[in-house]
Amino acid sequence: MFDFLWEYWAALFPAALGFAGIYLLLPRLDRQYRLLGAALGGAGLLAAGWFLVENDAVLPETILFYAFSALAILGGGLMLAQHNPVHAALSFALVVLSTCGLFLLLAAPFLMAATIIVYAGAIVVTFLFVIMLAQQAGLTSADQRSREPFLACLAGFVLLTALLCVLQKNYDTHKFDALLAKIQELAQAKTEKDVKRVLGDPADRPPGNMSPPLFAELEKSFVDFDRGKADLLLIQTPMPVAKLATFFQDFEEQVQRARNQVGALQPAADLPLSSFSGLPPNKELAKGKVRHEMPARNVAGLGRALFTDYLLAVELAGTLLLVASIGAIAIAARHREGLR
Amino acid sequence: MFDDPRNYLWLIPVLPLLAGVVTALAGPRWLRNQSHWPCIIAAGCSCVLSFFVLNAVADGFYNAKEYYTWFEAGNVSIGFTLGADGLTAVMLVTVTLVGSLIAIYSIGYMHHDPGYARYFAEISLFLFSMTGLVLAENFIVLYAFWEGVGLCSYLLIGYYFTRPSAAAAARKAFLVTRLGDIGLLIGILLLWSNCDHLLDFQNVFEIAPTFEPTLRMVICLLLFSGAVGKSAQFPLHVWLPDAMEGPSPVSALIHAATMVTAGVYLVARCTPLFGVTPGAQLVVASIGGFTAFLAALIALTQTDLKRVLAYSTISQLGYMFLALGSGTRNEGHLLAGLAVTAAIFHLFTHAFFKALLFLSAGSVMHAMGNVIDMRRFSGLRHVLKKTHWLFLCGAGALSGFPVIFSGFWSKDEILADALEAGSPGSFGSFVYLFLFCLGMLTAGLTAFYTFRAYFLTFWGEVRVPGEAGEHAHDSPLVMIAPMAILALGAVALGLIFGPTGIFNHFLETYWMKKSFEHLLPEVEKHHHNLLVMTASGVLALAGIGLAWWMYVRKPAAAKELAQTLPRLYALSRNKFYLDDIYGAFVRLLAGFAQVLRVIDLYIVDGVIDLLAQVPRWLGMLARPVQNGLVQFYALLMMLGLAGFLLSVLMR
Amino acid sequence: MSLVTLHNYLAVAAILFALGAVGFLARRNLIIMFLSAEMMLQGVALNLVAFARYRGNLQGQAFTLFILTVAACEAAIALALILMLFRRRKSLDVSLWQDLREPDLEPIVDEEPLPAPPEPEVLPHLTPAGREPDHPREETSHV
Repeated sequence: MFDFLWEYWAALFPAALGFAGIYLLLPRLDRQYRLLGAALGGAGLLAAGWFLVENDAVLPETILFYAFSALAILGGGLMLAQHNPVHAALSFALVVLSTCGLFLLLAAPFLMAATIIVYAGAIVVTFLFVIMLAQQAGLTSADQRSREPFLACLAGFVLLTALLCVLQKNYDTHKFDALLAKIQELAQAKTEKDVKRVLGDPADRPPGNMSPPLFAELEKSFVDFDRGKADLLLIQTPMPVAKLATFFQDFEEQVQRARNQVGALQPAADLPLSSFSGLPPNKELAKGKVRHEMPARNVAGLGRALFTDYLLAVELAGTLLLVASIGAIAIAARHREGLR
Repeated sequence: MFDDPRNYLWLIPVLPLLAGVVTALAGPRWLRNQSHWPCIIAAGCSCVLSFFVLNAVADGFYNAKEYYTWFEAGNVSIGFTLGADGLTAVMLVTVTLVGSLIAIYSIGYMHHDPGYARYFAEISLFLFSMTGLVLAENFIVLYAFWEGVGLCSYLLIGYYFTRPSAAAAARKAFLVTRLGDIGLLIGILLLWSNCDHLLDFQNVFEIAPTFEPTLRMVICLLLFSGAVGKSAQFPLHVWLPDAMEGPSPVSALIHAATMVTAGVYLVARCTPLFGVTPGAQLVVASIGGFTAFLAALIALTQTDLKRVLAYSTISQLGYMFLALGSGTRNEGHLLAGLAVTAAIFHLFTHAFFKALLFLSAGSVMHAMGNVIDMRRFSGLRHVLKKTHWLFLCGAGALSGFPVIFSGFWSKDEILADALEAGSPGSFGSFVYLFLFCLGMLTAGLTAFYTFRAYFLTFWGEVRVPGEAGEHAHDSPLVMIAPMAILALGAVALGLIFGPTGIFNHFLETYWMKKSFEHLLPEVEKHHHNLLVMTASGVLALAGIGLAWWMYVRKPAAAKELAQTLPRLYALSRNKFYLDDIYGAFVRLLAGFAQVLRVIDLYIVDGVIDLLAQVPRWLGMLARPVQNGLVQFYALLMMLGLAGFLLSVLMR
Repeated sequence: MSLVTLHNYLAVAAILFALGAVGFLARRNLIIMFLSAEMMLQGVALNLVAFARYRGNLQGQAFTLFILTVAACEAAIALALILMLFRRRKSLDVSLWQDLREPDLEPIVDEEPLPAPPEPEVLPHLTPAGREPDHPREETSHV
């Protein structure tokens, strides 16, 4: 149990803070805890940002990612906390806009535009219209109270914790990245001192075991690591730094390729998808690249994919829209005498 | 087809069975007033076939055949084996002849009864069971038909089941005979376990007489207990007087002529076993003699005509058992053969005259509007002329009127055998002598109470009870004719078979010599004891005379005598309080049954109900989950999903 | 030196999803409940687009378009139904609809009363000029 806690503390800690915060922020009759709830929620958000999605690169992409995600989550929290339904709808609009920003970061401009127009433009406005039509005078228990706040938060945050733990287990590359950084340093070593800086002083190691602990870790983590050869290279005097660097450069390439495979499940190569949908993901990445290139400009590619691979779904979606609109009118119409 | 009786032996029981089934199914709806035809036809055919069997047996037929294997289990194989010898043939003729005549009588007696079809179906069923009983060649089939006659007796006694007294009487008959049947069953099982798991008569009667004496005694007594129950001997005689609740033809058929003689038949059939167990025979004779005397005492003061006849039946059955028990072997006087034939001869004659008496009583009842209390009518010889003469024939036979009537000859043989068994030097001679004296006294008492009933009913001033209405006329021909035939038999049989001894000779030759020759005496001794005949004749006439004097000449004499001996009178009138003693015992058991009922109802049923409530309670625990709130349901779904994910994660 | 990885986007999407779930379970206003459901859909859409990016094809984006379509249909019908429900009970509280519970169970009602609505402020008002102000006739005391 404690191993579990220790292993996933990066997911558990922000989730716990967020749980406390949201629990206090949900609508309740006594309003004294809202500030505390807001503080806890903000702390949880910061903790998530610090531990969960750890990044030390200062690129525009990273900053934008942080901004949009924080805005989205803040909007979500606001939506839960607002008593006034109109305010909650507007917070939701904020969430949608932030998510669209994230879409943009993910190279989906068409989706960004479509979501803003359809979601924030049409759906949220429809919600606001209905709020206007279904107005209640004064304070109502619908807005002032929440149903089972503790259990609801528990359910949601236990689910969240499970999801985050699963994600961390599968996609967390911290250790990987640390090892990769060390390998990259070894690949670029020019002098023996550089090598010694990475691998540690030979005098520190126990006698009889000349292999550095890094090699043990590498051997444990990577199947292809040829520890024997690395040890041989290390022991020779004088140390063949250039050969070591070349060895580690080759090894780095392997490791980098493996790194890029993380999170990409490999579907079968013979799936009946046209090239318009994009390249199958098991195509080898070009050297030095981290992600595949997109085959065409986004809108055109999306259009082609929709009308070739997903044609049936498109037609069905259209039918669904028709049926839904008829249904909505039929359900909500007021049946008066002589008037239809 | 008719040369081998085995071809048509099976028809004798099966025809009445078919008639019964047909009547039961088709009678109430389609046959209705013609429901008697299947029964009459079947009974008639069975009677004819029985005569054929008799003829075949007289020609030397002595065989059995297994018609159908009932069941086989392990090393036990029981089949429906039917066979005929002398004893069976005699019994068959008795049963079917008397049965047919009574069935014809019933057409007239039950004429207006709504349950007409039911009656004839039950009568047919009874004929099936009784003929099957006497035809059976192994103990299991015998026991099966034994129970069959018990069932039919229950059905027919309770024929007027809407009357509580009739229903109670039926129950009483069934339960009291059941007590005897338990003993019978245990006896049969003992035989089975000790006879190499065989139960057919041939094998049993070869093996059983070789048992050690104690075992033999126990088995004999157990088998006899069945006879005690079925043939209404002391202490299980209490059901027979109450069985008079049934219709009179039923009383005639079942409780006079056939069913109650099943016990006698059983003991007679087991003669090889009883014959070598003198102790058991002593018990049989003692109970028989004692019952005869007891029943005669009770019959002295009864006011219900049919009850008098019922007690006389018990008494006469006692005589038969006295005869069966008198067949002890001893040096020089080997009686086994004669005594048993005397019993069967008395059974034969008794069937005729007792059936005749019951049918006459039925005729009287029919005319008097179902009133049978003798205090309410008298002088009926002017009203019911034919019935009067027929009743007189039967009464004469019962009381043993010398020479003319058959009862004289058969009773006489019994008393002679009892006397011989009491001769000095034989086993238990004192007891037999005592029983002989008891038997003579009972003969006198029999004559007395029979003619008491006769004089009370048919002599004196003409009094007819109000219920009679228009019915106070003599019975139609369909009722008179069978009675006349029976009366002819009551007279003629005695004259034919009595002095000549053909009957006994027949039984000896065609039954005893074939089954158990080693038990019989070397020299056949059939003689008539003139002394005993004279004495019993004198006693009979004395009894008749006394009755005439007390009930015709000086009617007040009876009342004076009753007042002089109040306690004796009360004892006799109340059947020696036996019914009350049994009733107290039964009430005790009924209380115990109530306790058991409470236990069953509240404890056993309570446990089951508690167990049945458990799903309900579990359901009530789980019900609050369905509270109608959508968010609650969604919450439970999410919690479930979260729990599942966590369990997968932590594995 | 790591860029924003797939893991980060998936984490954000998971958080959005969880917030939407909490909102659906906890809020009692029907409209806010459905808005929370829409937020869950947003999280899923984000998930799909992230996967599309990291696998280099457009399947995820096509799927997201369909999600958008279906969400629109769902919103339309859901809002129509909400309007019908509102017309029946004149309230948007989802806890009023408990009729499908077990017949013996008591309905769950709120026990604490709602706080009183804030009274509208009574601002002082001046009488308009040109008219005698209404004032009660005071009885002067003649001391």
